This record gives sequence, structure tokens and C-alpha cells, in this order.
Amino acid sequence: MIELRNFSYTYGTAASPALKNINLEVRKGELLLVTGHSAAGKTTLALAMAGILHHEIGGKIEGSISFQNRDIKEFDGIKELSRHIGVVFDDAESQLIFTTVEEEILSGLENRGHPKNEIVRRLKEAMDFCEISHLKHRAPHTLSGGQKQKVALAATLALDTEVLILDEATAELDSQAVRKVFSVLKKLKEAGKTIIIVDHNIGDFLEIGDRVVLLEKGEIKAIKNPSDFTANSSDLTSANLTSANLTSANLTSQNFTSSNLTSTSALPTDLPLSRKAGQPIISVKKLTQRYGEVLALDSIDLDIYPGELIAILGENGSGKTTLVKHFNGLLRPYSGNVAVKGLETSTVPINELVKHTGLVFQNPDNMLFEDTVEAEINFGLNNIGVKGPETAGVILHSLELVNLSEKQKVFPRHLSRGERQRLAVACVIAMKPELIVLDEPTTGLDAEESDRMMQLMRKLQQEGHTIVMVTHNLQIVRDHVERVIRMESGKIVEDSVNRKFSGKGPVDEENVYGEHVSKESVSKECAKGGTCA
Amino acid sequence: MKEIMQYINRDSFLHRMNPLSKIAAVTGIIALSVLTTNPVVLAFMVFGIFLASLGAGLQQELLKQVKLLVFLSISLILLTVFTLKSGETVGYLIPAGTLTAGGLVPVTTGALDFGTVLSLRFFAMLFAFQLLVVTTKPSDLMKALLAIHVPVDYVLMFVIALRFIPSLQVEGQRIHEAQLARGYNPGTGLRGKIMSVKPILVPLVANSLGRTQVLGLTMDMRGYRNRQSVEKNKLTWNKTDIAAIGCVAVMGLGVVLGGFM
Repeated sequence: MIELRNFSYTYGTAASPALKNINLEVRKGELLLVTGHSAAGKTTLALAMAGILHHEIGGKIEGSISFQNRDIKEFDGIKELSRHIGVVFDDAESQLIFTTVEEEILSGLENRGHPKNEIVRRLKEAMDFCEISHLKHRAPHTLSGGQKQKVALAATLALDTEVLILDEATAELDSQAVRKVFSVLKKLKEAGKTIIIVDHNIGDFLEIGDRVVLLEKGEIKAIKNPSDFTANSSDLTSANLTSANLTSANLTSQNFTSSNLTSTSALPTDLPLSRKAGQPIISVKKLTQRYGEVLALDSIDLDIYPGELIAILGENGSGKTTLVKHFNGLLRPYSGNVAVKGLETSTVPINELVKHTGLVFQNPDNMLFEDTVEAEINFGLNNIGVKGPETAGVILHSLELVNLSEKQKVFPRHLSRGERQRLAVACVIAMKPELIVLDEPTTGLDAEESDRMMQLMRKLQQEGHTIVMVTHNLQIVRDHVERVIRMESGKIVEDSVNRKFSGKGPVDEENVYGEHVSKESVSKECAKGGTCA
Repeated sequence: MKEIMQYINRDSFLHRMNPLSKIAAVTGIIALSVLTTNPVVLAFMVFGIFLASLGAGLQQELLKQVKLLVFLSISLILLTVFTLKSGETVGYLIPAGTLTAGGLVPVTTGALDFGTVLSLRFFAMLFAFQLLVVTTKPSDLMKALLAIHVPVDYVLMFVIALRFIPSLQVEGQRIHEAQLARGYNPGTGLRGKIMSVKPILVPLVANSLGRTQVLGLTMDMRGYRNRQSVEKNKLTWNKTDIAAIGCVAVMGLGVVLGGFM
């Protein structure tokens, strides 16, 4: 179907090639998984296979790519290629052009000139596949990140191209939605479609994959059978294929073995004890929040104690982010109350509360605006009145904590995604809040970077901070978090101590890290919540 | 959050109209409001548009803009008062006897007239344009514009501009929250206001620019540059369409004739 011969590619402005000497044949009807670290060239490969490099981006191209035995250069640009190849990119927002979900899916179909009844049929099918029929008339800006990704996927699926390329297209989906995408792809594969999934975490798709291409520094390091990846753990760790390796080799090498992990956090491990000790840092009572007609939070009661490391879990739209926005006064209670270190958020101004609660949002690009990393951190310090000579020391210390001390003078937007995320954390910890809240701190990061982020969390906890993270990454929760709060439609449905840290019996490594177990526990959770399809 | 210029999914006679006739009517209204200098004709047009919005139950949408328009009108009238002197002097902005014996800044009827005409033009144009946008699905709007051979690139620019207004609002809000979480405290006074724009505007612009490539590719992938015939999706005409075009045409005739008389 698609064949790459000695293909090398260098971006127009770059010094070194993004892809080097790639030889790869994608067979018709195959489901190919492409993975690797950040900056390994995954996205570039996806763009190359879609013909986008040749026809839209330019740059230095060597070797050749052919599609259906015809040189990709000979096609009449993307307009011809897009009849055969559909691509879903990672940035869902930019893939939604229209003002309703329905129009979004219809647009491509109408341009292709299908007959009316065919359009109606495909529209319905795509919406059913992606479970977005109920969002039909919603505007894209009112959707959550996960919902946007589903719509972008549906709009491409509706076009029914022979080849489908997904470039990190499921990053913001929760586990339940990923399972659904999995079954959709399975059906498409059975229907004979060629599918290429490019992702730093392909664990969810190994089961239906035919081959796994492992990229490293722009080259194909290995092409393997998916079953080899699950069976052979050394592959896993060297390749960073699933987040499972988060806890294995990487942590060990950094003197952070799991036994070490439990002992270093001896106090918070025994949760009931730590709960008795001292006043809660956050105390939420009967908190209710409304957005117009929607009840986002429904009578929440929650206490968070100093030194805890907590994860808030929940499906897209369950109220997680809404809840943590109450912790620093970004939202004021509709009814009920929230106290941060005894300060009522309904009366204390936000610039007072931020001295106690540091909130790091999911997208670091929403806060970086200065010309240097240093200035970026200084901004927050100035805002809370830290000025003069002492700032230099504080900046240096926080940069050291996040491992960015070399980058003091760098332009923030030139950092990698993982580095920017860590800089965002540094900006907040420089202000020395007792409580640090992170909204989806590992989204968009590969396993190695997520791992670094979690080590940072641990380090901050040891420095005496209380940490709350909002996430849907179950693996991280299992491996690193002591107390798990699960939310569902605005309610807390579970507040429990992680088995791994509770001291109830030894933890079976195999079971904790094994892929099949994670799926099992997902379905268990679903059964409990009763919401899974 | 207040949404500006977004399609409202409802069923009214304006929604059922053919986008083409709506575009024609709006173009007509805009042309007329530029051509005529008669405040009565303009007031009549504004009144007519408002009646149409009442009929469609969308008056709230128009009323939302009134605050902005009144502010604009006052500025415009002040501007003309300061810059234009014609007709009779009806009074002074700074009355006689306060600063100088004769009074400063004379207010003339010519200036007031012209200021009023300018304001009414804005009322008419904005109201008409807004009714068009809130009652027409962007995809229909696009089809209509393509049907009258507006180049596809301009049509896409227009539709995307409309689509991203609320997204930018949402993103601006998000950036604002992220900066608030860092203790960002918008300054006071003019200087403070200008300085406080940077932490919001820089991320907003940088993020938007970063989005353009995927956006462009997506449009190509959906086949916007080689559209198949859209015959099957022909837009239909109804009585309201003819009435609307007729109304605007009659008004146009009136203005032209009025000009000769």
C-alpha cells in the first residue's frame, strides 16, 4: 500500500534530519503501530506516509515514497491523496472547522459529492461509532478535550478512506473511550482498511496490531511482532512502549526502586495515621457548582491533609478540573464552602490563595509568555511580592528541582513539551505553595517524560508539599499515588488508599504491571461505576 | 459565557430562509446604509431589522450589542461635534461662562445630523450582519458564498474566523486562569492595563499561530479545494426569501428615487 525506500527527510529550518534512511512497506489491510520517544520522528513519519511532507511542507527529501505503486510525488497534491488517506492529528481543536459536530462530519462528505442517503447513512454510522450522537448540535468550543478528539476521529472515519493514519489521536481520551476506539479500529481492520497508529503509548492497541515499528532518533530501530512486546519485558523498557516501564528499569536506574518508594514515603503510607495528624490543608464541605443548567459538582465533601499524594480520577467531564479550580479560588462555591488552610475561598482574594495553592494546568503553552525561562519564573515571584536579590536563588532552586538548571536563558517555547511542562511546575513551586495541584500533568508526554514528572512529584512530596493530581492515567495512579479519589458526574464515588501503599500484603509485581491486569481493573471499575458501555 | 456572532440552533422564519437571499438582503442593507444620508430612511431600516428579529424571537441577540453600539454612537457623535462645523449652532459643549465667556466647542446641527447618520449606519449594518450569522449554519453560509463564486479560500477564511471567535474567548479565559494561578494581578490605570495585556496576549497569539498548519491540512483532507458538484445540496427558495429581497429592493428604489427628487 505505502512503501518507503531509503527515505530521509530534513525540515527546512533544521540542521539534522528528522528521518534517516527509512525502509518500510505498509501492506494492504495491515494495522501498523509506530512508536518511540518524543522527537523520535513519529509524527514526521506519519506526515511522510500521508504525502504531506512532499506536497505541503517541503524541506530536504531523499529516497522515495510510493502509494499504491505510484510515486507519491505524482499525485495531485493532498486533494488527490486525501481521497485515499485520512489522517487524524493530535490537536483536535484545530481539526474542527465548523460550529456544530454534525456539520463537522457532514462537511467532508458533502465535498466528496456523495448522494444524499449515503451521506445520511455515513453520518449516523460515524457518530454511532464514536458515540457522539448526543453531541450532534453542540459547538466545538463547548466540548471537552476527549470529546473533541472523538469528533475529529468521526469526521475522518466518515470519509471512509482506504488508509487511516492516527497521530496521537487518542491522547486525551479516557480509558473507556480508548476501548471504544479500539473496537472501532478492529472493525475497520476486519473490513480491510489499512490503519497506521502513531503513538508514544501503543499499549492499548497491541492486541490488534500486526507489526510494531520502533523509531529512535529518526531511524527504524526495530520492527517487531506485537506479542513480542508484551512478552519480552526488556523490549518494553528499552523501547518505552507502554507506561509499564515507568516503574521498572527507569526508576531502578535512578535509585528509585519500588521498595525504596514505599520506605521514603513512610509517613504518608500509613494514611489513617497521617489523617489524624494535624488540620486538613484543604477542607471541602457540601460543595456544589453549577454551569448554567449543568450540575458540575454535586455536594462534595473532602479533606486533604498535609503531605498526602492524591490522584483524582474520573472519565472526561466528571468534574475533576472543576473541583481543583476551587482549591485556589479560580471558582467560588455556588453553595457549600472550601477552606484552604482555614481561609474561606469565597472571601479571600485569589492572589492571596495562590500563595498556598499552586495550580499547574494541563497545557503549559497557556502560561508561557516571557523571553527566558528565568523571567518566566520571576513573573510569579513578582506577583506575590518576592523581589530583589533573593529571587535569583529561588529561581535556581526551582529549576534544579525540575532538572532545567541548564536552560535558564532559553526561550521557553523552544523547550520540548516535557520540558515546558516541567517549567510550568517550576513556575508554581517557586512561589512555595504548600499544596501543588496538577491537572493532567502527563498528557502529551512519553513514558520517559511522564516518569520524570512523577519522580518530581515524589521529590516535592518529600520536600513537604502536598500533591493533588488530576489524571486518567491508571498506570501512574497505581504506581505512584497513595490515595485515590474517583469522581463520576460531579460526585466522589470512591476515596480509597492505594493497595500498593496500604501495606496490606505484598504487591505482586507481575500483576501490578501486567497489561492484562490493567484492562481487567478498568473493566472492574466500569462495573462498579455502572457507566461503561 | 457570552457568545458573540455564533449560529443559534432554532427554527424561525429567518432560519428557514435561503442563505443566498439573506446574503443578498444583508448586502443590500449594507449598501443602502452607506449610500443614503437620510436619517429617517436609516432609522426605518434599523426598525425593520429589529422587527424581523422580533418575529424570529432573536431580539435578545441584537439587544446584547446595543451597549457596544450606544458607546460607539456617543463616540461618533462627539467626534463629529469636535471636527465638523456646519449648520446652526445649537449650543456649546462647554457652556458659556464656565471657562470662557463665549463657550467652547460649538455643537452644530450639521455635526449632530452626521453623527446620528453614522451611528444609525452602524446599527443597521451590525444588526443585519448579526441576524445573518446567527440564523445561518456556517456550512450553509459557505455553500451560498461558494454558489455565488466567492473564491473558496476567502470563504474558508470567513467561516473559520467566525468559528474561532468563541474558541479564542475560551482560550483567553483559560490563559487568564493559568496566569491568575501564578498570582497575576492585572494592573490599574492605563499603563497597568497595557502592561497586563502581555501575559494573556502572547500565549493566545502564539497558540493560534501554532494551530494554522493542522487547520489547513484538515481542510485539504476534507476536500475543500476540489469540491464535487454540490447540485444535490441545492438550497431551496421560499416565499420569505422573495419577500425579503423585495423589501430591500423597494427600499433601494426609494433611496435612489429620493436622491433624484
